[in-house]
Order: sequence, then C-alpha cells, then structure tokens
Amino acid sequence: MDRATVERVARAAHIKLTEEELERYSGDLNDILEYFSLLDEAPGSDVIGVNPIMVADVLRDDEPSMDIDPDELLSGMNTYERYVRGPRLS
Amino acid sequence: MRYSLEQLRSANARYGMFHAMADTVEGDFQFSAKDNLTSKGMETCAGSRILEGYVPAFDATAISKIKAAGGTLVGKTNMDEFGFGTFSANSGFEIPRNPYDTDRACGGSSGGSACAAAVFEGHVSLGVSTGGSICCPASFCGVYGIAPTYGRVSRYGLIDYGNSLDKIGPISADAKDLRKFTYMIAGKDPKDPTSCVQPDGFGEDRPVRRVAVPKEGVEGLSQDVADAFEKALSKLDSLGIETETVDMPTLKYAMPAYYVLATSEASTNLARYVGMRYGRQDGDLSLKFDDYFSDVRSRCFGDEAKRRILLGTYTRMAGFRDRYYAKALQVRQAIIADYKRVFSDFDAVLAPTMPFVAPKFEDISKMSALDSYKADYLTVPANIAGTPHMSVPCGYDPDGMPIGMQFVTDHWNENLLFSTAELWQENFTARRPEVVM
Amino acid sequence: MKIGLEIHVQLPTKSKMFCSCPTTDAPAPNTHVCPTCLGMPGSRPVLNRKVLEYGIMLAKLLGCRVADTTWFSRKTYFYPDMSKSVQITQYDNPVGEGGSYKMASGKVIRITRIHVEEDPGKTKRVGDLSSLVDYNRSGIPLAEIVTEPDLSTPAEAREFLKQLIADIRHVIDLPSDGERSIRCDCNISVGKERCEVKNVTGLKNVERALTYEVLRQTKILKSGGKIERETRRFDEEKGVTISVRKKEFEADYGYIDEPDLGIYDIRELAASIRIKESPQNRASRIASQYGIEPKMAKQLVSTSMGLADLFEEVAGKYDPQTAIKWVGGPITANWKAMEENGRSPEAVVGIIDRFTSGEITDSECTMEIRSAMTGESMESIQTASGGLEDLINAFLDENPEVVNDYRKNDKAINRVIGTVMKSSGGRYSSAEVVETAKRLVESRLRSQT
Repeated sequence: MDRATVERVARAAHIKLTEEELERYSGDLNDILEYFSLLDEAPGSDVIGVNPIMVADVLRDDEPSMDIDPDELLSGMNTYERYVRGPRLS
Repeated sequence: MRYSLEQLRSANARYGMFHAMADTVEGDFQFSAKDNLTSKGMETCAGSRILEGYVPAFDATAISKIKAAGGTLVGKTNMDEFGFGTFSANSGFEIPRNPYDTDRACGGSSGGSACAAAVFEGHVSLGVSTGGSICCPASFCGVYGIAPTYGRVSRYGLIDYGNSLDKIGPISADAKDLRKFTYMIAGKDPKDPTSCVQPDGFGEDRPVRRVAVPKEGVEGLSQDVADAFEKALSKLDSLGIETETVDMPTLKYAMPAYYVLATSEASTNLARYVGMRYGRQDGDLSLKFDDYFSDVRSRCFGDEAKRRILLGTYTRMAGFRDRYYAKALQVRQAIIADYKRVFSDFDAVLAPTMPFVAPKFEDISKMSALDSYKADYLTVPANIAGTPHMSVPCGYDPDGMPIGMQFVTDHWNENLLFSTAELWQENFTARRPEVVM
Repeated sequence: MKIGLEIHVQLPTKSKMFCSCPTTDAPAPNTHVCPTCLGMPGSRPVLNRKVLEYGIMLAKLLGCRVADTTWFSRKTYFYPDMSKSVQITQYDNPVGEGGSYKMASGKVIRITRIHVEEDPGKTKRVGDLSSLVDYNRSGIPLAEIVTEPDLSTPAEAREFLKQLIADIRHVIDLPSDGERSIRCDCNISVGKERCEVKNVTGLKNVERALTYEVLRQTKILKSGGKIERETRRFDEEKGVTISVRKKEFEADYGYIDEPDLGIYDIRELAASIRIKESPQNRASRIASQYGIEPKMAKQLVSTSMGLADLFEEVAGKYDPQTAIKWVGGPITANWKAMEENGRSPEAVVGIIDRFTSGEITDSECTMEIRSAMTGESMESIQTASGGLEDLINAFLDENPEVVNDYRKNDKAINRVIGTVMKSSGGRYSSAEVVETAKRLVESRLRSQT
C-alpha cells in the first residue's frame, strides 16, 4: 500500500493523518497486507453466508410502537429546538 | 461474595478493571460487564474517547437478563478501544493490570472483565469475544471464560466491532458459573435477528470423550506453555478423555480471513462516530461536514482504531473487495467445513489458549501491529467459525503466571464445554492471585 | 439522447423499515426516533416483513425476476442526515432484476433492478454556519427502481414517471401525495459522457432538471467542449443544475453484506403474493379478452377501476356486446355525475337485466340507468332526453346521409354532435349528446339492414 493509497483510504474513512502517522501506517499496513496475501491461495466455498451460522428469514410485523422516550435519547445530544445540531453542509 | 463500594474502589485503584462504577451496590449478587455493553444510566464508552459522555437509555439484553435475575451491575470493565487488541493496552482510559503481577497485562480485549473475575470472589463478569477476547484474558488471568456459539446470546446493546463475529459470554473463577450465566443470558431476542435461529437446547450434557489436537495448534508455543499443555493432556488422559493429533489445513488461513472480515465490518460500524448525537460533540460546527467529521475522528480515535479503520476501509473498497472481503467470507465457510469434518469424529478441538503467558507492559510496547495480531492465532479460528469455545486454567509458569487451554465444540454444543469445565475444576488445583485492596 | 432514472418511492408501511417507530407525520422534529434509527451504539436493525412484501409486489409489477434469496448490504457514506454513516440497502441479489415497463405509447422501458433501502433523515441549513437534523424520516422504507437509459426526452421521462406512479399507487396503495414524494436520480447523456442529477423531487422538476441538462450539455458539445462525468443537483427555484462533485471525487461506498440481518429466502413469500393488476395492464387485457377497442378499454380503466369492474361483470354475465353498449355507453356517460353525487352503480346491473329480458325498451333502459346513477327523477330525464332525442332525430331526418357515412367511418357522428351541441346551447352534457346520438344513429342503421 503506497502513500497515495493510504491517503485515499484515509480520506474515504474520514481520518486525517499527520505526516508521521501516514509514514507509520503505510509501513504497518504493508506488512499486514503482505500477510493477507495468504488468502489468495486459501480454499473457497460455494456456501452463501454472511454469518457463521445460517441466519435466515427473521422478520418483524409491521406494527408501530415506541419503547424508549425520544426525549430521553435527545437529552444527551447537542440540540436546538429538538433538532440535532450538525456541521455546515457545504 | 458481596463487596462494599469502598472495597470495589480500592481494588480498582490497584488493578484498574473498571471504567464507570455504580454508586450503590445492593442486590442479591454483584456482576460487572465489559464496557461495550450498554448500561442504562451508566456511561458506556467501549474503551473509546470518542464515546466519552455516552449514557445509554437502554440496557443490553445480556445485562438486563442478569439484572432481572437479581444481579447488581457494579462496574463497566476496561477494554481495548472497541475491542481492538490482545492486551487491553489499547484502551482510551485505564489499562487493567494483571492480578498475578501488576506489571503484566490482563490480556484482551475483555481484560478488565477477566481481571474482575480473578480479583473478586464469586464475581462474574460479562466479556465479549470477536477474535479471542474472552479466552485470551481468561487464560492470562487464570479464570474460566466461554464464548458461546455465535447467535446464542443476543447482541442487542453490544457496541459492535465485527457483527458477524461478536459473541457475549461469562468469565468467572468458578467453572460452574459458565453454565449458570450462559443459560441466564442466552435465548432468542426479537431485537437481535441473529439470536432468533438458535435451537432450544445446549446439546449433549456430558464431559468430552474424544478430543482432537490440531498440529497447527501446538506450533509456536513458548516452552512453559508447551510444558503445561503436555501435563494437561496427561491429566485429561487420566480422566478418561482421549486426545489425538489431527490436521486442520484451513486453520492457517483463519488469521488473515478474520482480520479482513473484522476490520471490514468494524470500519463500517465506526463510521457512525462523527461527533454528533452521542459521545464527544465538541467540534467546531462551522466546519464543512467532511472536515468536521474528520477532525473529531482524528482527535478522538486511538492509534489502533485508526489502523483498523484504514485496513477495513481498504479491504472493502471497489477493486480490492473481491480479493479481500469476498474471499474472506468464502474462507470462513471453508474453515467451518474443516471444523465440521473434525466434529464428525471428535467431541472437541483442543489447544493452548495463548502461545505465551501474560506479557509485561514494557514488552507489549515493543511489539509491531502485525506481531500482536499474530498472537491471536490460537483463538481466532473458533471465533471466525462461530463455534463455542472455552478457556480453562491448566497450569502456571515458573513465575506463577497462569496458562490456559481452549476447548472448541460444534455450534450449539455448549453443554459439552460446561460439563468438561466442571469435571476439570474438580481435578485441577487452581492458585488464586494474592489480592491486595 | 439517453435518459435513465433511479426512482425512490416511499413505501406505505405503518412502522419504519428496521425499527418500530411510526411512519405517520410526526408532531415535532425527532419525535419518531429510537436508538436504531438514530444509529445509537448498541442498537440493531430488524426487518419489517411488509417492506419485503412491497418490494416483491413492485418487482412483479415491473416484470422483474424475483430473487430466490435476497439480502442487505451496508453502503458507507458520511453525511449529517445518515445517522449510522451507513445506509442499509441492497447491492448483490436485490429483490428484483431484469424487468420491463410498457408505456401507454407502446414503448418499452427496461428495468435494471428494484431494491429496498432505508431513507436518511432530513437536514436544514442554519444560515451558512451549521446544520440541524431531524431523524423522523430516518429509516422510512424506500423502493429504488433503476431503469436502463431507454428514455429519449425529458417529456417522455415525465410521462413514464406519471404512468409508473399511477400503477405503483394502484398496486401498493400509495398515499395520494405519492407523486410529490417521488425522488429521482436522473442520468442523462446528450453525447457520450453522462451526468447524474441527484435527488430531484416531483415529476415536474424531473422534466425541468432534464430539460436544463439537455440545453447545458448541447451547448457545451456545440462549442466543441467535453461533458465531464459528474454529479449535479437541481436548484428548484432557479431551475438550473449545479455541479456537486466530479467523478474522481465520488465516494467509495465500500459495500459489505449486512451481518445483523442474515438472508431471506423469499420464494414462498413471492409465490403467495398476487398483485392487483395495474391500470396499464388491465386496459390491455380487457381490450384483448373482450375484443374491444383499446381506446375504449383505456377509457374505462382511466375513468375508474370500478367502471372497469362493472364492464367485466356485465361482459361476463351477458356478453361483451351488451357491456360495450351499456357500460361503454350511458354508464360511462353518467359515471362522473354519479361520483359527484356520491352515488353507487349497484342498481344498473338489474336495469340491464330487465332490458335483456325484454321488459324495458332501449331508451327506457338508458333513462333508468341515468336516473339510478345521478338521482334525477325519471320525469325530468324523460323531458330532457325527449328534447334531446327530438333534436337529434330532426337533424337525422334532414341529413339522412349521416347514417350511411357513419357505417363507413364513425367520425361522421361528430357532425350530429357538433350541430346539436350548438343548437341546444349547452343544455345537455357532451357525454349525454354523444351517447344519445350514437344510440339513435345505430338504431337507424339496424332498422335499415
């Protein structure tokens, strides 16, 4: 993973890196990815599965309900007239 | 045993197991939980500065079930940030210290939980395992710990690391607590779909009879661990438990596959921490959103969190996704198939839990990122396969540091582990640490 | 020119897609929220069954192959309205793929795929300094329908959307403001490179945004410039599109499978779901099944599905000719008046029954139907229609060639209608004049042969 790639990845992940971090992470990630190349020779499988056990067809009925008071959730948030405060959009 | 608030605080000052602590400690019995399980009204940070100040409005299902059974939550245990580590040294807060030697680590990432279980008598602490985070600290702290089958315990209220890997389980100095507390917290929970496919029972209830020891599981061990494991095997033999060496050729792929899946999922889970809604909300809102988010994230995430976010973002990026993420999903299935093949002939797979005893903090700081990832090679395979696994204390090195071994059984067969642990406890002389508080 | 659309339709569930928060209008910002739709640490999604059902219905409406197994993915992107910075959507194996939609014009628009996903919250600008976010909308289920670039003009895109939404509304009971809440990402290329105008709300704006893009891209191409591949947004007030970001700065969504939900084997569910016929499909079926003019079939369906029901009932009970004569004639003519007066058509089948058994005459039947449907008294109808019939008969007596012309070309009837409308000075409705003129001309034709 070269520096340019690390920069691109960091931008996508919304992490700002200092010069020192950029250098260090490039080195670490290169070692790690080199180790990951073991995967290329690893056996595959036809089994579809996002989970290690088969999790299938778990659904809930379309019935509205609210267990937790939204005011309680908002109490820890930075709000203005019940709106959650956020950064500048553009 | 019920400890007073003063005793808990005094122990915490010495061992650093707790992040948040309760104000009162009444109730039938006391327990603690890893700080990545939400606790109503008690700050929950998952070891991360970015969550400072987050007081959840709801209890994790596992916590609410123990409370319902009469338990009092006395504290939230210190951990590696979001579970990212093997020694709990990557905590944004206090680093728990090993009760057998406070210059050494407790293991991770549920280090504070194993520490509490070792220090307080009759105390159960909930841990969470993604790649070995229950068994590793249990082994380093000389206690019992189980990560049940993936999907056995509801993850509602668990602050996610890798959703397809995370498992909640009890850690205790008493083997009997593993059964009692797993039964207490297990079960289908409509709030977590992955908990809703489990069978009713926990499998056949007897100690294991035939156990497979993978060749790959006895490589790279320190001499002390190899010796202790050798003795443990003879003891098992004397208890009528047969062991046999087997080949599990897929195990060597477990580490890269695990780290790809875990970091891919983690990097999406951690995307939500942007300095809005909860935790730290102290950035400059007049910045453009991209800059605001990057600023908060760069300031508040620790070093290992950033490394894993970068790694996980890379492995799922267009162009790399197939080579890493998609392949790792397939490799997981191949590893599961390998385990199933062994389980057709054996009750369990057994190996030491960790290749060495709890290291000193000064040695940990010298390890590279990859070195510490590789330390998990014995615990990772069962974790990526979602199979239940348990660490039991099996010996001590010349310095008196505990050594553990790990049993793995097939999906949904926790009873084999409980019975085996109970039998083992009757026949193994455990040494308690000298606790000072 | 090539235009392709990505159409977002809010699905009319009672609760949100992955949590139980209600989807009704909220009394204030952030009142219909919970840990899940706020993306709070420790929360988890649980899929609403109804969302899968609606997804399958729409996939069937659009003639898509419904997947055997479907699942969800995480699309990661950072924006204040996206509470988890991750949208749970579908990437591999969406609910439906490879469909087509036939427009009234006969043109077929290919449908690439349809998937279901969650809506983000809503942001509000505070001056230029910061933003405010309301997560009430966060987690409302959406269906996203992606077309191939088969549309040729902005007007056609609008017409396509109009028909599609009418059909969707009919199939899944979309609320009547469904048209306004439709959001589209519009892909358009005049030359080789395409631009995407994101998040355009409402049919009119889709046409406006596309028209603006046609002009903009044409101008660039004519002056020898190159279209840059980019994402743009539409400024509704100014009626212009504005560049948001160039292709190379597009977010990498880094899709992974959603591990909190598992997979869904929807074969049985899909087999158990029958969708209501869309107006478009029903019109073509009625035309071919009963051998009537497509134009009439379309008129029946577009007037009301109830009228089409009645047509099929009468055609089934008697024969298509009877249905054409009565349902296509006086019942259609009086339908609007019936609806305005809040009446129902239930009595008319009995009246037709009495006509076919010979109890009442042709004109008695016509008048009784009108009376039953509009509530007018028989007497006033008799007087009025007597007057109308007299007028028409008088005209036909003076111009007997009209009847013969009508045999060759039914447009000949327009002469009768035009003259009578004029001479009656608007006393009769056009529907009434058309219906009576047709009936009298046709009865003269029959007596000639």
